Amino acid sequence: MISAALANVFNPVCLLLIWMGTIIGIIFGSVPGLSATMAVVLFLPMTFSMEATRGIATLVGLYMGGISGGLISAVLLKIPGTPSSISTVFDGGPMAEKGEAGRALGVGILYSFIGSIMGILALMFISPMLARVCLLFSAADYFAVAVFSLTIIAALSGKDMLNGLLSGLIGLALSMVGMAPVDSSIRYTFGNFQLLNGFDITVLLIGVFAVTDIILAGFGRRDLAAHLEQKKYHLSGYGITIPEFIRQIPNAVISSVIGIAIGILPGIGGSTAGLLAYTAEKSRSRYPEKFGTGIIDGVIASETANNAVIGGSLVPLLCMGIPGNTVAAVFLGGLLVHGINPGPLIFNKSGQYVYGIYFALIVASVFMLIFERMGLRIFARLLDIPKRILLPIIMVMCCVGAYSSNSRVFDVQCVLFFALLGLFFKCFRMPSTPLIIGFILGKMFEENLRRALQASHGDWSVFFTRPISCGFLIVAVLFCTYTVWMNLKAKRAAESAGQEFDTSEEEG
Amino acid sequence: MTHKTRDMLCSVIMLAFGTAMIYFAQGIKHKIASDVGSAYVPTFIGICILAAAGAKLFIALFRPSASSAKKIRINQDMLGGIGTIALMLGYMLLFQPVGFVVSSAAYLFLQMLLLSSRENRRPLLYALIAVILPLAVDALFVFVIKMPLPVGIWGF
Repeated sequence: MISAALANVFNPVCLLLIWMGTIIGIIFGSVPGLSATMAVVLFLPMTFSMEATRGIATLVGLYMGGISGGLISAVLLKIPGTPSSISTVFDGGPMAEKGEAGRALGVGILYSFIGSIMGILALMFISPMLARVCLLFSAADYFAVAVFSLTIIAALSGKDMLNGLLSGLIGLALSMVGMAPVDSSIRYTFGNFQLLNGFDITVLLIGVFAVTDIILAGFGRRDLAAHLEQKKYHLSGYGITIPEFIRQIPNAVISSVIGIAIGILPGIGGSTAGLLAYTAEKSRSRYPEKFGTGIIDGVIASETANNAVIGGSLVPLLCMGIPGNTVAAVFLGGLLVHGINPGPLIFNKSGQYVYGIYFALIVASVFMLIFERMGLRIFARLLDIPKRILLPIIMVMCCVGAYSSNSRVFDVQCVLFFALLGLFFKCFRMPSTPLIIGFILGKMFEENLRRALQASHGDWSVFFTRPISCGFLIVAVLFCTYTVWMNLKAKRAAESAGQEFDTSEEEG
Repeated sequence: MTHKTRDMLCSVIMLAFGTAMIYFAQGIKHKIASDVGSAYVPTFIGICILAAAGAKLFIALFRPSASSAKKIRINQDMLGGIGTIALMLGYMLLFQPVGFVVSSAAYLFLQMLLLSSRENRRPLLYALIAVILPLAVDALFVFVIKMPLPVGIWGF
């Protein structure tokens, strides 16, 4: 089986397809609004007529390139190309502003590769065991995971916890728009049928992260020529020295484990993995105050975790036929079309294809490492384009991205709505990242809360009697308490030293 | 406007938002007896917003920090900002009726002009970009991705 899979993957046609898939995926990932999901969906029909291994290998290349490509716009434009790259913006953006765009990209690519390989190794060697653990999770446990993930808001709120909390709550409130989970009740649509499905995360991201910045550039247009157009960058290797690499090993390992674990749990996704890994690294770090100012630790945590999700999300898909995220769901369709039925017997019935997927993933990772690095000079030259020209072009691409997410103009109009919301947040010094976290986790939070309470006949003790749920809730409370305590401690220290603790500070 | 005024204004807006959220949640019907209902979580979020906004208002009013009396310095080009918003609004309203290519070309040209200073204004270059870019993106979507963008009244 292994030799047949090797022969299938390592033939020129298959390698060419993986290469093309990876390159196209990188392009899709790097353009805000286009995503890995979109790349896989658009190219899925083209794989139907291909031999099974080649078709799946093409999809693997698209997936790998798409997730990794989000790094490029996250660093160069401070706009996450895909939701998975949200946390890359926190330090990647400031690094680019300091003239270290090349380094941020190089490090991001290297650790995307490392994260991918760790995820693939997990998929290959521990997938059956991990799949059994995954089966133990109930709705109550997923609710506890959502609550735990929401506590990230506390860490990302900057110095003003109340502003961060309000921002997160607005995100949760926005996720309530449209049809409710469980009973499909219609909420907050005000008679507009376009809102039945709620807001699209891509549209929210584009509006808050990209278009708000373009409006702000309009308000500060006098400074555009003076400051923004003079960024310098230099590229050398992958932007990291051997001692730095050794120092970052624990970060990479922890972030990979987080990415793999989140990938395995259905319905969470790369964005949460990146955010969790970023927060974990920030909490673990000896210099947490430097996070958000442009250090490689944040980029490494985010990129390692979001790429480790790829391998993780394929574990429940292959072992149980459960797609962990949207791309995995599309993948499932691709496998079924080629007559491969995921489940416990997949290794016996379609072992050749399973090994084919493993090898294709490894090849796609290597292609991503080489060709994304080779294209860095071209990508980094984006910074040389004058902002007065680049920003309007980005705006057009944002509108195209928003339109293509659901093929409706309503989403394009929502972009402006969210941009103005982002502007409101900037005016009132509210951090926008908790808004995104609240929005992403809102549906998971509500759906699992309601399902768990239905299953327990309204008994709230279900969240404390299940060990997994109870464990996550305890960790959430401890983490929140620790973050608040540290915040208050910093405030007292600043006040006793006679310094001003300005609580109106935006997150990094 | 001082920091204190800004925080108070923000709190009042959030209080209004939280109240509206709770108010509209009351109109959501309870469909399944064994379920807490679709109004449960929105109401909970509304209450949390009221609590957080109330706390923020209380702090702004009764526990002002050293910086709260400071005035916020506004050194912004209002014409550039409002003009950008107006151009975006026009672009999004014209996106469907006029079509992607024409609306994008007009937006690109005007936005680039608005963001330029007198010294670095290059109308000819802007016009060239404004025409070529939308056509290239449209061709990509129509012929490669097979997802047509809005064509508008002129059919392109």
